[in-house]
Amino acid sequence: MTGLLVLAVLATLLAGTCFAVLLDRAQPALVAEFFRSRVETEAPDRLNRDLAPAWYLALAAIGLSVVPFAPGLALIDSPAGIVIWGSCEALIVVTVFLHGWAPNAPFPLIGAYRYAALALPVMLPSMFVLIAAALPAQSLSLIAIVDSQREIWNVIRQPLGLPLFLVVALALTLRGPMDYADGADIATGTSAEESGAARATWYLARAAMLVSVSALAATVFLGGPLGPLLPGPVWLWLKTAALMALTAWLGHHVARPPPGRMLTLLWIALLPLSFLHLAISGVLAL
Amino acid sequence: MTLTIVLLGAAALIGLGLYGALSQQSFVMLMMGLELMLNGALLATIGFWSRAIGGMPEGQLLAIIVMAVMAVEMAIGFALIVAVYRKRQADMTESLGTLKH
Amino acid sequence: MTDPVTDLVLLLLTGFAVWTGWRVFRVDSMVRASFSLMLSFIAVGAIGLLLSAPYIGIATVFMMAVEMMVMAIFMVMFMMNPAGLNPMMMVHQHGVSIAAGLAAFLGLGAAILLSAPPSDPVPPQAPVVAQLGHELLGPSMLIFETAGVTLLATMVGAVILSSRQGRHGAADEGSRPPGLTAGGAPAGRTPGEEGGPGHHHHHGGHG
Repeated sequence: MTGLLVLAVLATLLAGTCFAVLLDRAQPALVAEFFRSRVETEAPDRLNRDLAPAWYLALAAIGLSVVPFAPGLALIDSPAGIVIWGSCEALIVVTVFLHGWAPNAPFPLIGAYRYAALALPVMLPSMFVLIAAALPAQSLSLIAIVDSQREIWNVIRQPLGLPLFLVVALALTLRGPMDYADGADIATGTSAEESGAARATWYLARAAMLVSVSALAATVFLGGPLGPLLPGPVWLWLKTAALMALTAWLGHHVARPPPGRMLTLLWIALLPLSFLHLAISGVLAL
Repeated sequence: MTLTIVLLGAAALIGLGLYGALSQQSFVMLMMGLELMLNGALLATIGFWSRAIGGMPEGQLLAIIVMAVMAVEMAIGFALIVAVYRKRQADMTESLGTLKH
Repeated sequence: MTDPVTDLVLLLLTGFAVWTGWRVFRVDSMVRASFSLMLSFIAVGAIGLLLSAPYIGIATVFMMAVEMMVMAIFMVMFMMNPAGLNPMMMVHQHGVSIAAGLAAFLGLGAAILLSAPPSDPVPPQAPVVAQLGHELLGPSMLIFETAGVTLLATMVGAVILSSRQGRHGAADEGSRPPGLTAGGAPAGRTPGEEGGPGHHHHHGGHG
C-alpha cells in the first residue's frame, strides 16, 4: 500500500506539472533550456545555488504526501498533518531566499529580500485558515479533516477560507500578484543569474508546487477524495485541476502592487480578516 | 541508553551555546548562541518526557513553553539590536562601553 | 528494551545537531551560520518525531525555519560581509568561553552519567497530540493564557523599541551604515547628498 501511494504521489506530481506548464501563458523552451550553458557569477554559494531547485521540488513532494488520496489513506499519516504543511511553507520561504542569496548578485538578492518580507506575513493567514478548517474535525490530521467534510464542504461553511488560501497559493508558487521573488520588474529576480538546467528545474519546481498547494486546498476546503460516483483519487485530481486553473487564472489577471502597498494590504486587511474568519469558525464549531 | 544519548546531545548543545554566547562579538551571533542553549534545553525536555515520565502531558507543555521563550527572546533581542544600532551605530558588543568602569 | 535501530538513528541525528551547532561559529558567512543553526533545529525536530512527540517536533521545524529566516534578514542588514567573501572570526575572551563551554558540557555530562533517571517510556499508541490539546486548555489553561499575554507584550515591546517615531525624535536620525573598514568612514551616501547612480535601497516596505 505504501508503494502504491508513493507511485500515486509521483504520478500526480508528474501529470500535474505538465498541466501546470500548459496553464502558463507563455511556456519557456524547456527542453532547449536544459542544454544551455550555465552562467557563473562571482563567488556564489555553490551548494545552495545548485540544490535550491531540488529542495523546492522536495518540499512540493512532501506537501503532496500528506494529502489523502482516498478517505483514510495518505502517504504520511501524521496526527499533525496541517503542521507538516505549515513547516513546508516556512521552508519554501527559506528555499526561495537561498535561491536568491546564493548567486551573490544584486537583483537576485533584492528578489529574495522582497519575497522574505512579504511571504512571512502571508504565512500567518495561511495558518489561521488551516486551523479554522481543523476546528470542525477536532484534529490536526488531514484524514480527519476530510472525514469532517462528509456532510458539507469547508468552502461552504467557512467561505472566507478558500479566497485567503488562494492568496497564499499565489505567494508559495511565485505567481501573479505575489511574484515578488521572480518578478519581471527586477529582471526575473532570483532567477536573473541562472541559466541552463537549474533555470529549467526551478520553473518545473514552481509548477510542481502549484500541484501540491492546490491538492492541499482541495483536501482542506473542497473535501478532497470525497464524492458520489467516481473513486477517491479521481475526485482529488479533478478538484486539484480546477484549483490549479483558478490559481493560474488569478495569477494572470490580478495586478501586482508595489511591495509597500502589498505589505500594508497583508498586515492591515488580510490578517485581521483571517482573525475574524477564525473567530467565526470557532463559534460555529462550538 | 536512548535517554543518555539524547541528554548528552542536549548537554553538548548547551556547552556550545554557552561558548558562542560568551565569545562572539557580533550581537546576532551572540543571539545564535542563546538559541543553541535553548535548543539543548528543548531536546532535554523532549527526552525526559518521552523516556522518563511516561508521557505526562505537562512535559509537552514545558516544551511548548521553551519554544515560546525562544520566540520572545528573539523578538525582543532583535528589537533591542535595531534600537541600539540606531542610537549608537553599534553592531558589535565592543562598541557599547558606557557601563565600563 | 530500547530498539537498537532507533538508538542508532538517534545517535546520528544528535551528532548532526551538535555538529551543525558547532559549524554555526566556524563558517565564514553569517547567512550560512543562521541556516546551519536551522539545520541543527531540524535535527532536534526529527529527534522529537522519533521520540513520539509529532506535534513538538514539527512545530520546532516550523518555528525555527521562520526564526532563522528573520535572522538571515538581520544578518544581511547589519553585517558588511553577509555573503562570505572574507574569512570572519570576530571573537573576544576566546579562552574563557571555551573553558566555560567545556565546563558546562562536562558538568552536565557527569550529572547525566552518574545519576539514574527513571525509565518510564511513553506508551507507543498514546494520543499525545490530543493529550497536549486537552492539557493546554484544561488544567494548564492559566499557563497557556499567561504565555499568550507574554507574547502579546513581546509584540508590543518589539514594535515600540524599533518604531520609526522614537520617543525623542525620529529613530533613524543618527543612523548611518557601518564603515567598509573597521572604524572607517560610513559606506554609502551621507544624508543631504543627492542620490547618485549605483545605490539601491533594501526597503522592507516601510512607508
